Parts: sequence; C-alpha cells; structure tokens
Amino acid sequence: MNISTTTFDTKTESLATRFFQSVRRNIQSYILLLAVAVIWAIFFFTTHGAYLGPQNLSNLFRQMAVTSFLAIGMVLVIVTGSIDLSVGKLAGFVSVVVAYLQFYVWFKLFPDQVILPAILSVICGLLVGLVAGVIQGYIIAYGGLPAFIVTLGGMWLFNGLLLLVTQGKTIAANQPVFSDIAQGYIPDTWGWVIFALIVLGLLWNVFSGRRSKQKYGFTPRPLYLDLLNVGVVAVLVFAYVYSVNNYKGIPVPVLLLAIVAVFMAYAANNTRFGRYTYAIGGNRDAARYSGVNIKGIVFRVFVLMGALCGVAGVVLASYVGYGTIAAGTGYELDAIAAAILGGTSPLGGVGTIHGALIGALIIASLTTGLQMMNVQPAWQFVVKAIILVAAVYVDVYFKQHR
Amino acid sequence: MEDENILEFKHVTKQFPGVVALDDVTFDIRRGEIHGICGENGAGKSTLMKVLSGVYPHGTYEGSVTYDGEELKLGQSSIQEAMKKGIAIVYQELTLVPTRTVGENVYLGKEPVEHGRIIWDKVYADTRAILTQYQLDVGPQAVVNDLGVGKMQMVEFAKALSENAKVLILDEPTSALSKAEVEKLMEILRTLKQHGITCIYISHRLEEFFLITDRVTVLRDGKVVTTQPTKDVTQNDLVKYMVGREMKERFPKGNRKPTDVVFDVENLEAVDPNAPDRKILDGVTFNVRRGEILGIAGLMGSGRTELVTTLFGEYGMISKGKILMNGREFKPKSAREAINAGLCLVPEDRKKTGLVLIQTILRNISLPNLDQFSQFFRINSNAEMQASLQQAKSLTIKAPSLEVLAETLSGGNQQKVVISKWLLSKPQVLIMDDPTRGIDVGAKFEIYRLMNDLAEKGVAIVMISSELEEVLGMSDRVMVMCRGHSTTTLSAAEADKERIMALATGVAVA
Repeated sequence: MNISTTTFDTKTESLATRFFQSVRRNIQSYILLLAVAVIWAIFFFTTHGAYLGPQNLSNLFRQMAVTSFLAIGMVLVIVTGSIDLSVGKLAGFVSVVVAYLQFYVWFKLFPDQVILPAILSVICGLLVGLVAGVIQGYIIAYGGLPAFIVTLGGMWLFNGLLLLVTQGKTIAANQPVFSDIAQGYIPDTWGWVIFALIVLGLLWNVFSGRRSKQKYGFTPRPLYLDLLNVGVVAVLVFAYVYSVNNYKGIPVPVLLLAIVAVFMAYAANNTRFGRYTYAIGGNRDAARYSGVNIKGIVFRVFVLMGALCGVAGVVLASYVGYGTIAAGTGYELDAIAAAILGGTSPLGGVGTIHGALIGALIIASLTTGLQMMNVQPAWQFVVKAIILVAAVYVDVYFKQHR
Repeated sequence: MEDENILEFKHVTKQFPGVVALDDVTFDIRRGEIHGICGENGAGKSTLMKVLSGVYPHGTYEGSVTYDGEELKLGQSSIQEAMKKGIAIVYQELTLVPTRTVGENVYLGKEPVEHGRIIWDKVYADTRAILTQYQLDVGPQAVVNDLGVGKMQMVEFAKALSENAKVLILDEPTSALSKAEVEKLMEILRTLKQHGITCIYISHRLEEFFLITDRVTVLRDGKVVTTQPTKDVTQNDLVKYMVGREMKERFPKGNRKPTDVVFDVENLEAVDPNAPDRKILDGVTFNVRRGEILGIAGLMGSGRTELVTTLFGEYGMISKGKILMNGREFKPKSAREAINAGLCLVPEDRKKTGLVLIQTILRNISLPNLDQFSQFFRINSNAEMQASLQQAKSLTIKAPSLEVLAETLSGGNQQKVVISKWLLSKPQVLIMDDPTRGIDVGAKFEIYRLMNDLAEKGVAIVMISSELEEVLGMSDRVMVMCRGHSTTTLSAAEADKERIMALATGVAVA
C-alpha cells in the first residue's frame, strides 16, 4: 500500500496476478478469437454442421490467403501512420503479368518445361511488386508526399496497366506446377511431419528462451505455463491438420501464409526495423530525436508492402487460374478492414500481425458462411457491414473501459 | 445562505491496481479563496483534480466531494458536466485550436446560433466583454498561433470564465511562462478573486504560493499532510511537509573536476531551414570540458533551444562557424550522427520529442540503443531488458515494471526514462534542455545528483535552464545568451543573478 516503492521484481507477484495481467494485455486477441468462435458456432448450426466440415474448413483458410498477405503488410503501413490504397490493384496487376508471361512468353521459350516457368513466374511476380513498392515508397518517404494520394495514384496506374496487359481479355494461368502454389495440397503424411516440426520448433523456442533468460539472470516463468501454451497451440494445429487431412491435406497457400506471417511477426517484434516502425507511429518526433532514420524506415515499409503484393498477386493468379480485368478489385479495403478489425490503430503505433490474420479470418468466415446459407449477395454486404462496425465498436468500448 | 466552503473533500480514496493514489483525503476549499496545493510528483495532486473535474466519475472512488452544498455526482463523460456546474480546469498543456481566433476558441462548442447560423458578431462581442471584465489583455480577433504562451493562457481563462466557472483549477500554470508573464498571471488571479472566483492553484514553484494563495494544502503519498493559511508557513516548512524530511540544500554538492575541452563551438551561425532568411543563431561561441557542468542562461526566445537542437542535427542550417568534438570537426546532419559522435540531447518537451508515450518504459529506453543489443537482424531481448533494467534501477524510476506505458508515469519519472535511454548510449556530451521543468522538488534533487554523478564520471554536461537559481546552483561556468548570440561565459565565482540578467537582457555587454 505504498505508491512510491520501486518494484521491478516480478517474482513477488503471484501467479494469478500475472495470469490476469497477461490476459488483460492480450484481451483484444481473446475477444477476436471469441468472435470467430461465435461466428463459427452460428454457421455450424445454421448449416447443420457442414460449415465446419473438412472441405469447408480447408476452403475457408485457402480463401483468406490472398487478402491476408496484403493485410499483414498493411499492418506495418498503418502502424507508421500511413495507408496504402494501391495494394489490391497492384496484386491484380501482378496476377495478370504472371498470367501473361505464362500464356504468351514461357510457353514459347520453354515449351516442354513445367517447373522452370513456375519459378520464373514467381520471381517476376515478386519483382513487379517489389519495384512498385520501391517507386511508391521513394515518392512517399523521400519526396514527402502524402501516402493517401501517392497510393491512390498507384491504384489508378496499376488498374490502367492491368487493362493494357489484358487488353480486356481473360488470360489463363494454369500450368500444372504453378497451379499448385494456390491449389495444391500437402499429402497427409507430410502434413503430420509439418505438425511435428511445428511442435518441436515451439518446444525448442521455449527451452532456448528459458536458457537465455537464465543466462541473463532473469527467472523464467514456471515451466508448466510455457508447456501449457505450447500444448494449446499444438492441440489447435492438430485439430486443423486432422480436419484438412480428412479432405485433401493442408492447402499449400495456407502453409505459405503461415510462413510469411511468422516471418513478419518476428520482424515486427525482434528486429530494429520492426521496433523503429512502431516508434515512428507512436511518436514521429521522439523517434527522430532518438536517432531513427524516419525516411529510411517508411521507405522500407512500403517496399515490403510491395513485395507482399507480389506474393499476393502470384497466389491470386494461381488460385483463380487466370488473370482477369477485375483481379484484385477492392482487396485493399479488405486488407485495411482486416488490419483494423484485428486491432491496428488507424492513428498509428499499435497493431499486430496475428491480429490482422484473425481479422482476415473473421471476414472470410462471414463470407463463406453467408454463401453457404445462400444469402443474397446484397444481404451479405449488409450483414458484413454491420459486423465490421459492431466489432470495432466492441473493441473501442473495451479500450475505453479497461 | 451560502456555505463558507465551496468544496469539501471527505475521505476520498482512489485506488489503482497496486497503488493507492489518494488515501482518505479530507480538506475543504473556501468560497473565493486561492487555495494552493503542493506535493511531489505522484503525491496525488493530479488524481485529486481528475476526481474533481470528472475524469474519474462518481463511483470510481470512495468517499465524497461536496460542491456548493451538494454532493458532486458526476457520471460518464462528465468533464462537460463538471464545466456546466462551474468547475473548470486550465491545463498545463494548453488545449486551444492554434489556427483559429481567440473568439472562436472561447466559444468553441457553444457558439450562439440563430437559424443554424453562427452569430459571429455576438461571439466576438461576448468574448470582448469577458476579456475586458477580467482585464485579460488579448484581442478577440487575434489568431491563437500568433500569441505567446502567456496570452494563450489568458484565452484558456476566458474560455473557462465564459462557462460561468465558479472554481478554476490551475495545474502548473507558470511552468512555461517568463517572469513578466508570471507577474501578469498573478495580477489576473487577483482580479478573478475580486470577482469572487475560487482558484485551486497547483505548482512546483513554491515561492508562488506566497505571492498569491490564501491557504495551502500539502499532499504526500496520497494523503493530506496539512492545510494551513499561507502566512503561517515558510517555504522550508512546505518542502519539509512535501518530502517528509528536512531538505538542507536545494542543490547537492558535487565533487567535479573538469579536465580537457571535449566540445567546442566557435562563432556558430545558423538559419531556420524553413525560412533561410531568418537567422536563429547569430554568433555562438562556447566550450565545455569533460567532467564539467556548463549552464546556459538566457530569456525565452534568446535561442537556447534553437542552439541545442542545431547541435543535435535536428533543427537549424549551419551557415557559418564550426563545431569541434574531441578536436575534430563535427557537422551534425541528423540525431543519429550526433548520437554516434557521443552527443545526446534531453529535449525541452519530453512528451513531444523525448518519449513515445504509448510505448513501454523498456521500449523507450532501448529505442536509440538497439544496435547494442542486435546480432545480425535479431534483437536480443534479454540483453535489452537487462541493460534497461539496470539503468532504470540506478536512476530509481518509480514503476511496477518496465512494461508500464510511459504515459502513465509522473513528470519526474518520465524525465528519468529519457535520461536512462541516453545513459545507455554512453554520451561524452549530454545536453539537457530545461531538465527539471515541471518536476517536483524531490525528483529535481535526484536529477541534480545524477548530473553530478555523470560529471564526476567524465561526461560533459550542458544544461539549459530558465531558473537562474538552478543555473547558479549547478554550473561550473555559465554561458549567457541574448538574441541568438552568446554574450560571455562567466565562471561560477563571477556569476550572480544581476550579472546574468544584465547580460541576458542586453543591458550589459561582455
């Protein structure tokens, strides 16, 4: 009962307090997961169980992949206090470039090959995204122009380029190996191997983390708490793998998404680039006065966003099997919605990768569920609108009444 | 018949998780008096004012507050409710819309309207009436941006008075004011008192209580230590009550032994990068030695802050002169370059440029030092935590853990976080721009002691201060600035208040 004690000693706090503190810190994620559970439960009953059947569960995650790549990048863009409106059309442009190359170029250059064209398509797709990111990032960071305007220009530009490439036609992108990127499945056995690798990776992470803590003189939290964490994740992954293996196996794009997400979450928390990104969004002047190279970091955030658009574009082309004039239309808003729904603050400085993924999952869950119920497209929009705004309202409410 | 007391606090207790911010606070405030409240940072002053102004609504605290004979029961979103009842706060950080006029600001949110149209004539006429009634020397049509801090504060007063405020809460009203502006403020307060308005006056500058207040209440650790008529106590009494012990000296004795010159500025001139024809520095020359504290004195607007932000690579464009660091020429183009060269800046406004308030103490301390903790791309979070924790402990930052957000800390502790982050950067020259601004007596003393420690370890410290006593009490030498140029550097023996003021105002020429 003293307000002026210096207590940096976390050992003195009871386990229960620490547990509740950790719950409170992550309250947002838990609420979002609860929302997913509620949505799934409702659709489970309205579709008489079909919604959570292996086939649909498999499709659900496959469908959210393309926007999720964009949402992951969008988190960092919004965290710096910026916005990127070009991502949907850039991904669309990448998808038609990839389709064009396959249909008109690789086919002529390497008529008998399957693997080489797929690899070249991926590389070209990523390069197009990267270059677009470099150009937009340079204008925004070093030219000092508002991101809203630059990327709105980008959106129009990529739409125009997309129309030029397609000439108003649909271009097939269905070479067998390339199609596997978004339509392939991991065989059952390999699915279980991946599961085992994930569990081993988590355990290794726990034990090396504890060793490092001890080396620096900190007391790690009780082992069973760490193991409990691993256990919960393992059970969820197990359930997922078991379920999708009953259909065709883990979808390749879901695996890709998981790898990219882990990589990006790591970068956000454990690298200087990530820390500086959050510092810039939190207080640009203080970050500058702490020696952060603001322009350099903002530039890199947009380059990364461009590269992720490249990934999304490649997956998109593979997923739908062709490049169309409508490719990527409106994806930027889906990505922004997923990020904000996942707790990213539009004011900057706050936001997580996993939050954006849950946000994307909520949107995908609603879309597939409403489609399965054969709700008219018009009403699908109305329901999604209400849920989006209501979810953000709940989030804001909890933040104010914490 | 009206009660003698306009406000009565009875057994007010406010708890936060792990902390009792207010502990059974009981005292009263008389109608029409100016009531001073003092206490160290974290003593509960701000919390008490938040209870009164409705930031913490009724029911979130124990005990009761009686206002004008009735218990104050403010609900959610109750700041407006409190204002309607006549309780208004004039904040430490001003809350005006800088690009609009005085009148627009005063009537913001309550514009007189006729058929959906704002009656601007009435806005300005009424504003003028209020300004004249309370002898506030501002024009109603002036744009707030063009006013000085002192005048902006007058607008804040006018805003509160236009709501028919009966109780005005002034939270550190003088922390950003010049001496003349403080005197003007005192005059305004006396006028307000004549009009029967009750003022609650919170300040760290104890001498002000004796200029203006009728009674004074001292808080310590969330409890009321005493409430007494101001004429019955002395400054030393107040300090004693605040810290719970007798403070023998305000400035700790150091054992500093300055050695060789580490930082040398010669005839520096610089212009505003946004307006290259505006000179911000016009011939500044000084040097500072290892293990020395150099004070920089000067009036507001004399170019002190412009000087140090230019040296830090973040403001002025250097047009002439040179800077030598360890004898080598040094041309800072960014904060990063300055930091790498061993020059760090504790900025004037810690909330604006010192801290990322929405981040944790840990992230703030490590922000400029991540290179130290990184191997390839990875930040070693344990090394980061260990180094930051050690720094935070040695500076006795008061917080339950380093995972606490910087915005929740008191001013003194925030300043310690800023200093911590720079100490991890191991500076050779540490520039501190008004390091004790808005900080209470106890924390000030700790910061002085820290400055001594650093200087004894060989760091060269450059301290800007608006308080002459601080400059005189802490510095080995004093450089005085006047209108963008350095006048002269006085040794501790030569420096006294009169001499510094004469140089700073341009009365005396060095």
